[in-house]
Amino acid sequence: MAAAAELTLLEKSLGLSKGNKYSAQGERQIPVLQTNNGPSLTGLTTIAAHLVKQANKEYLLGSTAEEKAIVQQWLEYRVTRVDGHSNKDDIHTLLKDLNSYLEDKVYLTGYNFTLADILLYYGLHRFIVDLTVQEKEKYLNVSRWFCHIQHYPGIRQHLSIVVFIKNRLYTNSH
Amino acid sequence: MPSASQSRKSQEKPREIMDAAEDYAKERYGVSSMIQSQEKPDRVLVRVNDLTVHKADEVVWVRARVHTSRAKGKQCFLVLRQQQFNVQALVAVGDHASKQMVKFAANINKESIVDVEGVVRKVNQKIGSCTQQDVELHVQKIYVISLAEPRLPLQLDDAVRPEVEGEEEGRATVNQDTRLDNRVIDLRTSTSQAVFHLQSGICHLFRETLIHKGFVEIQTPKIISAASEGGANVFTVSYFKNNAYLAQSPQLYKQMCICADFEKVFCIGPVFRAEDSNTHRHLTEFVGLDIEMAFNYHYHEVVEEIADTLVQIFKGLQKRFQTEIQTVNKQFPCEPFRFLEPTLRLDYCEALAMLREAGIEMGDEEDLSTPNEKLLGRLVKEKYDTDFYILDKYPLAVRPFYTMPDPRNPKQSNSYDMFMRGEEILSGAQRIHDPQLLTERALHHGIDLEKIKAYIDSFRFGAPPHAGGGIGLERVTMLFLGLHNVRQTSMFPRDPKRLTP
Repeated sequence: MAAAAELTLLEKSLGLSKGNKYSAQGERQIPVLQTNNGPSLTGLTTIAAHLVKQANKEYLLGSTAEEKAIVQQWLEYRVTRVDGHSNKDDIHTLLKDLNSYLEDKVYLTGYNFTLADILLYYGLHRFIVDLTVQEKEKYLNVSRWFCHIQHYPGIRQHLSIVVFIKNRLYTNSH
Repeated sequence: MPSASQSRKSQEKPREIMDAAEDYAKERYGVSSMIQSQEKPDRVLVRVNDLTVHKADEVVWVRARVHTSRAKGKQCFLVLRQQQFNVQALVAVGDHASKQMVKFAANINKESIVDVEGVVRKVNQKIGSCTQQDVELHVQKIYVISLAEPRLPLQLDDAVRPEVEGEEEGRATVNQDTRLDNRVIDLRTSTSQAVFHLQSGICHLFRETLIHKGFVEIQTPKIISAASEGGANVFTVSYFKNNAYLAQSPQLYKQMCICADFEKVFCIGPVFRAEDSNTHRHLTEFVGLDIEMAFNYHYHEVVEEIADTLVQIFKGLQKRFQTEIQTVNKQFPCEPFRFLEPTLRLDYCEALAMLREAGIEMGDEEDLSTPNEKLLGRLVKEKYDTDFYILDKYPLAVRPFYTMPDPRNPKQSNSYDMFMRGEEILSGAQRIHDPQLLTERALHHGIDLEKIKAYIDSFRFGAPPHAGGGIGLERVTMLFLGLHNVRQTSMFPRDPKRLTP
């Protein structure tokens, strides 16, 4: 998904009615937002954080200092590790790591829904959509988290819904 | 007075004589002369399988292979192997064995065939590495009947080692090509023995069940004049001044037998498919077990007979070949085969719904791909707890031209597949027995009517409604045992890359 499209999606999910115009910069088409008062904002996560503040939903950036740091960590992870990597092996390593991480957490920061969940959901959608039933079962925690986020009101919008089977087909249940 | 060297010599000679004299067991071991049917000794050979505590303290003769032999001081431990079974044997210096005899035993090449006379003794601690765990054989006589060459192309212990264990402990396993290149040795392993004893059981149960149901066994020709199932995957042979083909299935002849009033027939024979597929489940030559049956009013009469035949086979295998199943499981662990009675039968549209619910997108008239078949197998297993089921009413578009269309829905057909562990084992259908409809369908499929004239002609003089199907012996063996490559269940497999042994 192109950055501008994603930011538009994010605007809607945050309940912002105003549609911003984004330009793209450089080889990697990094999004740029020209604000009315002040310098332009560059980069997906920078602009996203700005939009969150605009929508008066700063809690989505984390409440405690620790939580804020974790949100930043995952936003950075999204841009550096998820985007631009379409090598099959890389993705599976990523999913394996994410699966372990999510073992004991409902959301990326633990128990609170944040911007990190939204952007990681948007970033991973194109990979999750192509996973086989067996792979979805293998990355059980990622599947659980993804399924939860995609059902969050206002988040999924036009993105295709990914089907997750509730029963184990491949792992021995005992 | 004798010189120093002379006296030394005279001292050496007596020791030599003493050594020779000390081999008091000389007559009790050695390499026998080749058995050319010189004699008929009054001797009963006991099977290794029968060496149990019931025979404790008896003196028995056994013929087996030397699986291993290991000297330890004044003793030699041997493992003697006979098909799936093995027993520990001990040659120890004592009343019966001399140290030369112990040395001889320790040096017998692996795989040599030996005749052993010994006493069966109970052991205090179970011998975990042998099938006969409660006894060992105390050897009194040991003769080599057939000597093996010292260097084996593969080690049998490596050949039965489970793959995972091999990787973990850094120990060797044997890859498939090596096995197949040295098939005679590979077939000696307990696993291979078990597999092919069970396979023999499948053929036997197939015959037994169908004969009990009133079927007649027929033999059909394999050299035929025209390709039966479509020209692409057929082997050509030179037939005097012309060409002929190797039969891709007994289809045509099974049906002709029905038109000849044999009513219920089956045949077991080779099937030749020149398909350049290098997969885990394709062979260019395999054994087909085929059924064809005239029915009264509905093809389900036949479906139920076929399903019941397979169920009887499964039950028979579980009852009579439990030892073999366990032996194979030791090297290739898997879940026991599960099935329902009566057999589960799903409609194709139900299967489509299940797949769509799992997120798979498929058209109504689309055939099942192999990955989708496997996924469907998993879904069915999860929902119904069965490894065996029937899928009925396939879309007409994906079936051969001789398949009878569904009377109420022209997009469907009276055809069915059966699956084991998510893989197809049988494809069958009600056949079109009306020459006119058959011609119509053949034209619709773009088939040259000249090539199938003989086929259509067989239905011109009154043909009963009939249906049938066929299974592949190797594939059924593989799936029943939960194995993963059909070459493991074909004694001398044939594929696009292999023509020997």
